[in-house]
Amino acid sequence: MTLFDVVFSGADTVYGLAEGAINAAIEKHGADKAVSFPGTAYCLPCYYAVTGTKVTNLGELKEALGVVKGIETKNVKLNDVFMNGVGTALCAEFIEALKYLDGADPYEGTGCSGHLSDAIIRELGVPLVTGDIPGVAVILGKAPTADEAAALVKSYQAQGILVTLVGDVIDQCVEKNVNMGANVRVIPLGKDVTSVLHVVSVAVRAALIFGNVEPGDAAGLMKYTFERVPAFVNALGALNPVVVACGAGAIALGFPVVTNDVETSKAVNIKVPKSLIVQPDVDKFNATSLEARDIKIKITNIDIPVAFASAFEGEIVRKKQMQVEFDGSRVDCFELVQSKEMTEVEDHKIELIGPDFDTFEKGSKHSIAYIVEVAGKNMQTDFESVFERKFHSYLNCIEGVMHTGQRDMIRVRISDAAYEAGFRAKHIGEVLYAKVKNDYDAVVDRCQVKIITDAEMVGKLRHEIAIPAFDKRDDRLKSLTDESVDVYYSCIMCQAFSPSHVCVVTPERLGLCGAVSWLDAKATNELEPTGPCQVITKERVIDDRIGEYEDVNEAVKKFSNGALEDVSLYSIMEKPMTSCGCFECICGIEPMSNGVIIANREYAGMTPLGMTFPELASMTGGGVQTPGFMGHGKHFIASKKFMKAEGGIERIVWMPKDLKEQVAERLNATAKELYGIDNFTDMVGDETIAEDPETLLNFLTEKGHPALNLEPMM
Amino acid sequence: MGDFKLTTVEEFEAATARLLETGAKVGADAWQIRVKNQTPHCKFGEQGVCCRICAMGPCRITPKAPRGICGCDVHGIVGRNYLKFTAGGAATHSDHGREICHTLYLSAADGNYKVKDEAKLMKLAKEFGVETEGRDLYDVAHEVAEVGLMEYGKPFGFQKFLDRMPASQKDLLVENELAPRAIDREVASSMHMAHMGCSSLPEALVKQSIRCGLGDGWGGSMMGTEFSDVLFGTPKPIDTEANLGVMNADNVNIVVHGHDPSLSEMICEYADDPEMIAYAKEMGAKGITVSGVCCTSNEVAMRRGIPMAGNFLQQENVILTGACEAIVVDVQCIFPALGPLSKCFHTKFITTSPIARMPMSDYIRFSSANAGENAKQIVKTAIENFKNRKPELVHIPDMKQKATVGYSLEAIVKVLDGVTNSQVDVTGTTKPLLECVTSGVLRGAVAMVGCNNPKIRPDLAHIELMKKLIANDIIIVASGCSAQAAAKAGLMDKRAKDLCGAGLKRVCELADIPPVLHMGSCVDISRMMNLVAELAKDSGLKISQLPVVGCAPEWMSEKAVSIGNYVVGTGIDTFLGVDPYVSGSAEVAELLTGGVREWTGAAYTVEKDIDKLVDAMIDRIEEKRAAIGI
Repeated sequence: MTLFDVVFSGADTVYGLAEGAINAAIEKHGADKAVSFPGTAYCLPCYYAVTGTKVTNLGELKEALGVVKGIETKNVKLNDVFMNGVGTALCAEFIEALKYLDGADPYEGTGCSGHLSDAIIRELGVPLVTGDIPGVAVILGKAPTADEAAALVKSYQAQGILVTLVGDVIDQCVEKNVNMGANVRVIPLGKDVTSVLHVVSVAVRAALIFGNVEPGDAAGLMKYTFERVPAFVNALGALNPVVVACGAGAIALGFPVVTNDVETSKAVNIKVPKSLIVQPDVDKFNATSLEARDIKIKITNIDIPVAFASAFEGEIVRKKQMQVEFDGSRVDCFELVQSKEMTEVEDHKIELIGPDFDTFEKGSKHSIAYIVEVAGKNMQTDFESVFERKFHSYLNCIEGVMHTGQRDMIRVRISDAAYEAGFRAKHIGEVLYAKVKNDYDAVVDRCQVKIITDAEMVGKLRHEIAIPAFDKRDDRLKSLTDESVDVYYSCIMCQAFSPSHVCVVTPERLGLCGAVSWLDAKATNELEPTGPCQVITKERVIDDRIGEYEDVNEAVKKFSNGALEDVSLYSIMEKPMTSCGCFECICGIEPMSNGVIIANREYAGMTPLGMTFPELASMTGGGVQTPGFMGHGKHFIASKKFMKAEGGIERIVWMPKDLKEQVAERLNATAKELYGIDNFTDMVGDETIAEDPETLLNFLTEKGHPALNLEPMM
Repeated sequence: MGDFKLTTVEEFEAATARLLETGAKVGADAWQIRVKNQTPHCKFGEQGVCCRICAMGPCRITPKAPRGICGCDVHGIVGRNYLKFTAGGAATHSDHGREICHTLYLSAADGNYKVKDEAKLMKLAKEFGVETEGRDLYDVAHEVAEVGLMEYGKPFGFQKFLDRMPASQKDLLVENELAPRAIDREVASSMHMAHMGCSSLPEALVKQSIRCGLGDGWGGSMMGTEFSDVLFGTPKPIDTEANLGVMNADNVNIVVHGHDPSLSEMICEYADDPEMIAYAKEMGAKGITVSGVCCTSNEVAMRRGIPMAGNFLQQENVILTGACEAIVVDVQCIFPALGPLSKCFHTKFITTSPIARMPMSDYIRFSSANAGENAKQIVKTAIENFKNRKPELVHIPDMKQKATVGYSLEAIVKVLDGVTNSQVDVTGTTKPLLECVTSGVLRGAVAMVGCNNPKIRPDLAHIELMKKLIANDIIIVASGCSAQAAAKAGLMDKRAKDLCGAGLKRVCELADIPPVLHMGSCVDISRMMNLVAELAKDSGLKISQLPVVGCAPEWMSEKAVSIGNYVVGTGIDTFLGVDPYVSGSAEVAELLTGGVREWTGAAYTVEKDIDKLVDAMIDRIEEKRAAIGI
């Protein structure tokens, strides 16, 4: 038997299962019964991406099965193997979709995720492009021992790799108490082998969302995933034909498969360089897989007794697991970066002033301050806040440490497990030192950290040093307007994913992902002059109203490799800036009220446009201009430049309640300043007020919302 | 795929037609005209049934006259002709190899020729049993050269390089008395056997043809390749361009043509010399462009990225551009027509070798000892000729493609190392390629070689065969004029991966290679022999079991027959698109297409229909796969 025969037999098996399931479902529910996955704008995403056809009911699903039969040709070329692999994935998608009939939640209570929503994919966009998630591991099957399974999962987790699990390996991880969940980047998908489809669906939607791959362009899809989605498969245990057929689908998308099934590999010639690799030793799966997919892990060796990886960034330390807490809302706390003269800084000096964690009672609250003092020839005070903002991420990456807030409103929790592993105050200093030096080596020559737990001293320093420093910075930020600076910056960090998208970052318009402010871009440019952020001059104005410049257009054309000719900075209707797909929010026009609504990524409900966030989002992205829709960062909402060309923020008529609360203070301040309106957000609708345009219009009329009296947008 | 598109044979022909218009204006002759004059060809000659090896004849065999005056039958006559044809080719390749040995022998630290690839020299020294420890590099080089030269006339033993073969093939050859002895001896023995009154037994004549060919492939040619690498560097992947569009109307154009890199390397060296470039500017040009034709072009393309102006049947086109200041030739495949043609233009036709003397040429005798001076004189001559150009005759077709060339065996192994996984694999082997083949991702490999021949629409067979093969997940290694046809069409552009089946495409992407790998000039077919030998050794299979075949669809020279014989002798089935003058004898034809398999593990297939030829190759590859259960 050849490898090809095995794939064909596996594909036939899965096809048979899908056929049986679909026929049974039609018999039970009738052909008109609706079929869909929750939280996606792409129907059955894999089938839609491959064929361009949207399946909405069981009858169409049956037709789709016929299409799959047609692509599963059985000649002896690799293309046949690829198509049988793809066909297997599609059949798996059909089988999984049937589980969701009637709005069922088939994975509830199983500890597994099943289908992953579009919102999750959009969240993954930024960390994937920045390399914070350097890869995606798909582990399926059963490891020789539970210990090996747990060790393998943890090895990826420690590297920040997103791990998805299918089959018995999930139980093995449960047995070994592996910390699982989306927040620690280990996602059990499901026990059935068909549930592997849910991660395939993520890769496929990434191509649609970020890559602007046209649905139906199967070749373009495969090219995108091969070149841009750093996923790989670890198949543990005996390979049966179904697993091999799934593997063929993975390889078709460009994802190598590593197996420990030596026996089958001897019986059938299955070894294929960089694609199908036999590694008998599960301990070496990690290294083998990373090499096969050319994934490089940024190594930051930090001398601390617990793990440090981006996978732990979302980890939550609950009260009962907490050893000690520092809470800026109750006691004095702060974090601060200060630039100093070279002579004032002794590199890698870490100083603790006050008692260490040992002396604190379990579960108690205390004051803390950590001051990172940096010096360097190219250091600028503007960078202080850039580094400081990263502390949140740095401290969260420590296993067993949770950090929220910023400046003097921080909260840090240390888990009992981390404490027991030996984590102490100086380790916070080690992490901050190592990361600042590592990430900003071009501007930081020396760095020292002071950690202060002496409550009295913290209080004194907070008022004498920290608050004045923050005030000074705020004044500087206020003075930073689009008009007051000479240059803007491009950001093409996302081009790994969205090859023709370019953000133009200005002081009043941060990148749409919310992660790159003008200062960030400036620092990035300083750190890496040929990197993703390049200086864009703004000398030749074409149209002040919409914010269009000849120099900006030239830059955009260059950085988008000719895909984009011109953009405006301040208009949503005329030449709007494009989106990669990673945007925090999407704003779209609401014709009845003459305004715009904004939905954020976290919002799962309906908007008055009759579309959910995923559906709205699917209309833009991929670096294409879509007048009337615009992706943007949350911070941009309160900017004076927010769709200035169309009248500015007074066009905002609706936002989800959570988002509204987040931006209220700044948005109200801007409304007051621009139009003299008090409490503007009270006039803005949300989902508790209206989810349809008529109700919204009534509400807006009642409140006298200013948008109603503005010029029509269209 | 972006803006990538293959250049079609129709486009080649349109460009040629435009150049022939210029030719007609100046009264130039052309091969297209001469083919017409020579058609129809002599039927006796075509069938190989004409014998003129003694003065009693010529005799030609017909149903009414089935034997010559001496009584030799048609099989003996066809067999002898075939053997002499082979001997001509083997002598030619091998003498080229010998010339390179002499050049290596003259290499010196401060000489015109130096050792560029020391590691390869050391490897050869070890293979030849030459002491290296504590010795001067050039002492070693000279002794290696001498041992190599002795291979031509040594009284005893087989060719040393035969030890590179897997034992299974070498043993088969020894057993069947096909293992080549001294190179010159095999040529001389062939001539002896084909003398009046010697062999007329088809079996003996075919066997000697194979042995003589093997003396070329595993002797003279292999030495030519290996020693060229020592002197000029082992080729590594390098980007270049191909087709007439590489010539530059603003520059002095020097075209090198022939086979021996000793001359062309030196020309390239001096064309790059700032002094020469300045001189060219002084003479009104913007610079100097060296491009190549035929295998000398392959040699300098592989090592220096020098662009390829064209292959065998494009040699006259180079002059017809009206922009060629000098066409500098060494040996083999040079049309005597270039002399009269050059007189229709300002072009200098410069012959350099006592082996290839031609009327109406400027003879600047090139010698290894004075290579630098000779080359400088040639470059200067070309520069000074720039002013004589007739602008109204200048037309360079705007036609070229990008190509990545330079896939020596060493380079291929390095590429393969790049797709290994250090956690599970060893490096320095051909195993990754074998894994691709055994798993079915690649179905097999075809070695495409050989010339152009007006009997086949030029380049069409090469290009069409390659297109169909790569679409069927069959990887191609190419050399000689076949490689240049591929490069001109665009098949050596990495973007040609999009023309491949899914399997070969993925291999191209992962290994970052084009689907057609340029392995060099025609002597470099020895590289292909080394490659299959390694594949056999790494897989534990016999060479004849590998799903690999050879193909020369447009061959024309004696060298090509010698090559065919050693490829078959190595155990690789060989497919020809032109009959080697053996159709007159059913017995000889049967031996070549069948009987020889018993002695070597392989045989010839002759098929003039290109579509059938490619299908026959694909079928053979699939048969071989089935036979070993993959």
